[in-house]
Amino acid sequence: MSTPFATVLETLTRQRGVRASLVVSERDGVIVEASVRFGQDGDRIAALAASMYRKARLSARAARLGAVSFLQLDAERGRICAAGGGGDLVIVVVADPQANVGLIRMELLKALEGLPS
Amino acid sequence: MTTTNNDDVRRWSDELARDPSSLVFLQLGEALRRQGQLEVALKIALRGLERHQRHVAAHDLVARIAVDRRDFSRAFVEWELVLRIDPNHVGAMKGLGYLCFHQGRLDEAEQYLNKAAAGGAANDVKNALRMVRRTSDGATLSMVEAAASPAPPALPANPVNDPQYLFVDQLLDEAQTALLLDANGYVLAGVYLDADGKNVSADIGAQLSGISDEVRRSTRHLDIGEWKAITFETHATVVAMAPVAPDNLIVLAASRATPLGLMRRLLDKCSAFAADWLARTHRDGASE
Repeated sequence: MSTPFATVLETLTRQRGVRASLVVSERDGVIVEASVRFGQDGDRIAALAASMYRKARLSARAARLGAVSFLQLDAERGRICAAGGGGDLVIVVVADPQANVGLIRMELLKALEGLPS
Repeated sequence: MTTTNNDDVRRWSDELARDPSSLVFLQLGEALRRQGQLEVALKIALRGLERHQRHVAAHDLVARIAVDRRDFSRAFVEWELVLRIDPNHVGAMKGLGYLCFHQGRLDEAEQYLNKAAAGGAANDVKNALRMVRRTSDGATLSMVEAAASPAPPALPANPVNDPQYLFVDQLLDEAQTALLLDANGYVLAGVYLDADGKNVSADIGAQLSGISDEVRRSTRHLDIGEWKAITFETHATVVAMAPVAPDNLIVLAASRATPLGLMRRLLDKCSAFAADWLARTHRDGASE
């Protein structure tokens, strides 16, 4: 069964270096829709990325910095980008360290427009 | 007096509107700076500088406004440009002497003030020079500032080597701020001021330090190695954080308009600076 997010995720997954792209629920960390490369554990990515995004959002709010709209984590062997539009749904991308993060960010922010707020 | 100043400001503004290439921007910018309208003064000065790129007084004006805005890096660059155009410019030497003293670079401060004194500067510079030489005996920044600074108003007396001001020289403008936190989220260095100028470093540090635990957990479970940086954007701010060995955290915040690539470079720069500072502090502590 295909959800309205399938096209959005396909566009993201087509970017060079992208290993997985998912729409997840920030509240409970479960997958709403996912496009993952072979070998990637979608459930694990969804749970951890949602938790990290939630923590950043709550911390930023507590620090009176405003609502988080985009997050990027750089690690030695990978990158995680996440974007949320204020509702429960967050779009998450896992990519190689060499991936063009500028392009991914742009696509993520564009994809956000398709999410219900 | 105020009426006269306001009349002058109006007259100069009108003149500049009629003739944008007029040098009257120098008087207008200086008047606005003295009135404390620093953002407007800076705009006027920068617009003037676009048309008169090698005008010494224009660079000097931008530098003095930058000092008032506590944008010391910008002031440094502008006064260095002044000296490139006019190597004998006493005002730039005084300004650079003041900035070097402010950053604890006493040898360089002395060199600049020496040159200013040799270039015919008044007694105030000679007094400042004497104070720099006596700094280790307790001369304070405000004493040197009073004697050497070409921009006396609006500067707080920042103690040299105060950890609060550790990153002043690494950041590009006053809207950027950096904090170095320990493993418990306590502030080691840097300062975070809110829009009202209130120091909220402890709050921000405590709130944001928790993110690093979550990040560590995620990278471990996803097997993507050690984390290097995390950046997030809110509607008004960009925040970037990175681990600083052994278990400290640097937090950098800037306006949303700051490009993410620039944020990343500033973060790397501040991280390296913080690591050096921590190592130096540790060494000094061990040797005592």
